[in-house]
Amino acid sequence: MELQFTDEERGFRAEVRDYLRTNIPDAIRAAVREERPLPREWMVEAQQILNRAGYAVPHWPVAWGGRDWSAVKRAILTEEIDRNAVPRPLAFNVALVGPVIAAFGSEEQKRRFLPAIANLDLWFCQGFSEPGAGSDLAALKTSAVREGDVYRVNGQKIWTTYAHKADWIFCLVRTDSSGRKQQGISFLLIDLATPGIEIRLIHTIDGYRHVNEVFFDNVAVPVDNLIGEEGRGWDYAKYLLGQERTSMGNVGFSRRRLEQVRVVASGTTGPCGRAIDSAAFRRRLTQAEIELKALEITQMRVVAADAKASHAPDPKTSILKIRGSELLQTAAELMLDALGPEALTGGFGMPDETDPHQGIDARSAPLSAYFSSRKFSIFGGSNEIQRNILAKAVLGLGARK
Amino acid sequence: MNFDLDEEQELLRASASRLFEDHAQAGQDDAAAQWRDYCDMGLIALPFPAAVGGLDGGHEAVMLVMDAYGAALARQPYLQPVLLAGRVLAQSEGELAASALAGLLDGSRRAALCLYEPRGRYRWELPQTSALRTGEGWTLRGEKRAVLDADGADLLLCPASVRGGVALFAVPVDAPGVTLSTRRTPDGRSASDVVFADVALGTEAMIADHRSAGAAIAAAVDGATAACCAEMVGAMDRLLAITVDYINTREQFGQPIGAFQALQHRAADMLVAIEQARSMVYYAVAMLDAEPAQRKVAVAAAKALVNRSARFVGTEAIQLHGGMGLASEYPAGRYFQRLTTLETMFGDTDHLLGIVETAGGLPD
Repeated sequence: MELQFTDEERGFRAEVRDYLRTNIPDAIRAAVREERPLPREWMVEAQQILNRAGYAVPHWPVAWGGRDWSAVKRAILTEEIDRNAVPRPLAFNVALVGPVIAAFGSEEQKRRFLPAIANLDLWFCQGFSEPGAGSDLAALKTSAVREGDVYRVNGQKIWTTYAHKADWIFCLVRTDSSGRKQQGISFLLIDLATPGIEIRLIHTIDGYRHVNEVFFDNVAVPVDNLIGEEGRGWDYAKYLLGQERTSMGNVGFSRRRLEQVRVVASGTTGPCGRAIDSAAFRRRLTQAEIELKALEITQMRVVAADAKASHAPDPKTSILKIRGSELLQTAAELMLDALGPEALTGGFGMPDETDPHQGIDARSAPLSAYFSSRKFSIFGGSNEIQRNILAKAVLGLGARK
Repeated sequence: MNFDLDEEQELLRASASRLFEDHAQAGQDDAAAQWRDYCDMGLIALPFPAAVGGLDGGHEAVMLVMDAYGAALARQPYLQPVLLAGRVLAQSEGELAASALAGLLDGSRRAALCLYEPRGRYRWELPQTSALRTGEGWTLRGEKRAVLDADGADLLLCPASVRGGVALFAVPVDAPGVTLSTRRTPDGRSASDVVFADVALGTEAMIADHRSAGAAIAAAVDGATAACCAEMVGAMDRLLAITVDYINTREQFGQPIGAFQALQHRAADMLVAIEQARSMVYYAVAMLDAEPAQRKVAVAAAKALVNRSARFVGTEAIQLHGGMGLASEYPAGRYFQRLTTLETMFGDTDHLLGIVETAGGLPD
């Protein structure tokens, strides 16, 4: 047992922190800290800076840029990226589609896609959810019918984050509807420039537009873009969801938010005193900070156990998802409360996605962060789904005798 | 970081666990024989330095023992005689402390540290109990409350105000002027209110003076608090297992009630609360060798979270058991009683959060 970070791990943390603070432009970090949407160029620039140091895809196979670092070190890396307000490497690229291509793609697909995915030369978005397939993902209907050397794709995806910024989309599509709904699903890469694709932005309650509907109308996709075998897409999706777990708890992100809350709440004193002087506020902040300390260690425990286990995802990851999302939401609430009436003019949304000032506006967006944070307990398997997983896979409940 | 037990730790955990489980199975408690077993297995010597005849087990070893202790609802006093009074004795001076410690290590004697006072809540640092210098020694006057496992101790360790601060006095339990009024706690321990009515003591009774007593007691309290948290996590683990077993077996409406999602989600939330509590135990244990001010805050934060988890897990477990949860011969209720008793020790949640707040938050 080694309940504290080793000297090597501390050294690694310092090295990462130093690199991030030295190399990532201040304007980018300020935008992340204030939770403003970043222009695409800034996200690309940040990921390329990370990639140069091996920080973008350390969990990948070494042959494709991975680093063979311990899971604890990778968790430290993610924590520092978040805590220092550096844009995370695009999850759709490095955590989702990349590992699937590395595991199930052909050599040709690996050569074509992996370096570009790691360096964000190619931006992927995720086409999983559909209007009728949310938590019940296997109910998806978007179809791909083989016609010679292309698939004809028809259907609709929804909640597609950054589809409007992306170059490609990785999709779960139905290639066969005869068997169980989990069968007949295939994993397809689609160039968003292909004719027949329409992307419509969805306005969200945080005042931004970052998610979309994506419509496919008879879209011709080369069969070369199929990953692995036809009909095994559900297995690949499960593999994908079991990948990189070092960031599930969002520990660094919550830490950054709570530190910010403490700064704001301890700031200027007015006739009514500071927010931090209120016993009730202080108590809520303290409880959140303690819960976060626990989560930080729970995260390390899951990560360390994961490193030893097989590729099967540790169901305890669901604990990280539940508490991690709740903490991000609590932190956003505390920020609003710390600001009081001034929250209303503290920043909400952006008037226009094409606004040239996007990401450069000096104002933070605590109201947007508050509304946006509701998503954390919904996406990636809602917290109710996570509780189902814990109840069934960890506690063994509900098994009929 | 590495959360795996090494071979020695695995062995300790397994053998302590087997002992506590055997004792629990035995039904009829033979307290003296069970205490002798603790001694023979080295559990009593475990936390003490080799220099005084201990095993130098370290904080992690104590954590493992206490986790097993909590899981089995072990009954013989350990927190009080070993981790509180024992550790304070090991930090004290003079023949009286040395012989009391030797007696503890050979299993023949036990002492009890008297921390709390009427209306003083958890602030042992500012005792109303006072010791006045006399020609021959000291006169001790005051009252202590809820002294854990004073019943069966032959020596009471009493912090008292002296000129310059707080000193620690060792008082034989049968000294004239000492009165104990003992109640059984819901979980089968005992707690005593103690009156010191002008107890005449010799000079040797002061085993730590105002320069060293505070630090020695604080270190023992923090260590015992972390151990208490480990015990609570052990108890919560087992309580969840008992609860899961129950709702997977109990049938209503033609199916096991554990098949209902409303109950599954409550059980899942219990699991989340327990794992978060376990992480805080690790945190507290890792901070026990930190500088005292940081140690105090870290341990307080840990118990604040463990307390909240225990209240949640305990009350949910009773709810999920329905009427059976209220029957005292059924184990769930006994675990809830144990958790509730431990919750009140070393600080309730509000008190502990106050410590963290006063420090301006957790140490980085």
